[in-house]
Amino acid sequence: MSPSPDETAPLFDISGLHYRYAGAQADALTDLDLEVHEGEFVAVVGANGSGKSTLARLLGGLERPTAARRALACGHDLLAGDGRMAARRDVGVLFQNPENQLVAQCVEDDVAFGLENLAWPATDIGRRVDEMLARFGLEELRLREPHMLSGGQKQRTALAGVIAVPRRVLVLDEPTAMLDPAGRDEVLGAVREMRAEGLAIVYITQEMDEAAGADRVVALERGTEAYAGDAGGLFADVALVRRLGLGLPAAGELALALGERGRGLPGLPLTMDELLAALGAAR
Amino acid sequence: MSGRQAAGDAMPGAPRGPDAPGAAGMRLACRHVSFSYEEARAPIPAVRDVSFELRAGGSLALMGASGSGKSTLLQVVRGLDAPESGQVLLDGAAPAAAGYGALQREVGLVFQAPELQLFAATARDDVAFGPRRLGWPEERVTSAVDTALDMVGLPPARFAERHPYALSGGEQRRLALAGVLAMRPRLLLLDEPFVSLDPGTRRQLVGILQRLKAAGVTLLLATHDVDLAWALGDELLVLGEGRLVAAGPWDFSPDGGRLLAANRLREPFFVELWRRLGRDPQRAPRTADDAALALS
Repeated sequence: MSPSPDETAPLFDISGLHYRYAGAQADALTDLDLEVHEGEFVAVVGANGSGKSTLARLLGGLERPTAARRALACGHDLLAGDGRMAARRDVGVLFQNPENQLVAQCVEDDVAFGLENLAWPATDIGRRVDEMLARFGLEELRLREPHMLSGGQKQRTALAGVIAVPRRVLVLDEPTAMLDPAGRDEVLGAVREMRAEGLAIVYITQEMDEAAGADRVVALERGTEAYAGDAGGLFADVALVRRLGLGLPAAGELALALGERGRGLPGLPLTMDELLAALGAAR
Repeated sequence: MSGRQAAGDAMPGAPRGPDAPGAAGMRLACRHVSFSYEEARAPIPAVRDVSFELRAGGSLALMGASGSGKSTLLQVVRGLDAPESGQVLLDGAAPAAAGYGALQREVGLVFQAPELQLFAATARDDVAFGPRRLGWPEERVTSAVDTALDMVGLPPARFAERHPYALSGGEQRRLALAGVLAMRPRLLLLDEPFVSLDPGTRRQLVGILQRLKAAGVTLLLATHDVDLAWALGDELLVLGEGRLVAAGPWDFSPDGGRLLAANRLREPFFVELWRRLGRDPQRAPRTADDAALALS
């Protein structure tokens, strides 16, 4: 299938997708639907082992779905070999473990790697790499060997390499897991900017306050969709949140603890400001 | 045989409940510790002239920006890397002292993503690897493994014979922790133990570490999660480019806040909440339950 000329077509259009690892007894992903449009920031949450990273690999064309009614990424058919090859080019994937992503001898070569594969002119590559290194605070590390970097520096280098290549879609698998609080804010800032530029972003996370900032949240439970909708709707169903091995943002956890003490707050605050407002109103 | 074991053996019948590992926490002191990595171009100093003390049974949160030297410091304390200069004192003993090696074996280090190092065919064999290498009799190994599996919430009856790769990611992380706890560490070093854990598993791990702390195990916890650092660390160490820029009680004065920000950190959630409620941030609660108690 050729890329759709329809500007309004979803960038991910997945329906009834199944995936089973070779030799496994059960599906890792079962009957999954996912539609992601231009400019959307969709968080994917779920317990360890619920299938989030498997989904990321499938969306990036790195594995063949075992079955699907429809599996399109940027209009490419993920069920077909050439479709997956095209998806690998058009979908930027940041893996959970940056070690799997760093290939070059030094940081700047790693950030340049994807652009070199696209045969960009050297001067353009140099400019783009400088921009990425500055954005992620890596200028002083540009000649450092990747294996000498700390976990957080590796993660920022891998992310800079993925974002360096202009694309319409990104799949980020726990991009802030190794980062200090300022690094986390920088990545979230970059994600918001890219969303504003019209990119579609699938954002896998274990950080509930990050999920709370997404346009939509998809929660996985043992490979199936247990929830899809806005973050507020997920967090309001505390029994579901607990069953899924998730939590609430800190403000929400405090509101719940107050509720258990008979001091319930109006509504369910998910941020510091909402919590302060609710505490004020409850006084 | 280590000093602590000898003491334990002198007290037959001493209670050996599931929290036995904390018989007595170890005291740690670093004196002017430095360490550099060799790289083709030039050595990269990772830890520079770091000195601090951690009392027996105390807990320290080790924080700092990515690349500030946290992991390196833990590896030097564990003895995996010898400091270029300076000394790591365990229970006051210097590396040259007789019995230092035995003390080092009572320091447990849980690496970043320790589940990547699981290798045995069953959970039991994986956890037993360390105790067996210490030359413990098999009976003692079995009991240490059972105790450790229970402590991390993987009851042996259900989990001991499972293949490590058949466990979920959160279970694997706890299994790897059990492998360290089985050796009954008196000083436990943890390198970003919460990374990539789902919130439910994170809560379980916080509970495990709180119980170890209550049992007297000394904790040194490297993390960039300020809320978990505040929940578990009595005091704080901050590394900046390998140097110690803060060591001691948490300081939420304006100066303390500037120091956190300069090191790419921020105040814990409950500290900010207390400040914004007009309460004393130094007395902010450490957990949601404590906060709810104070606000009820």
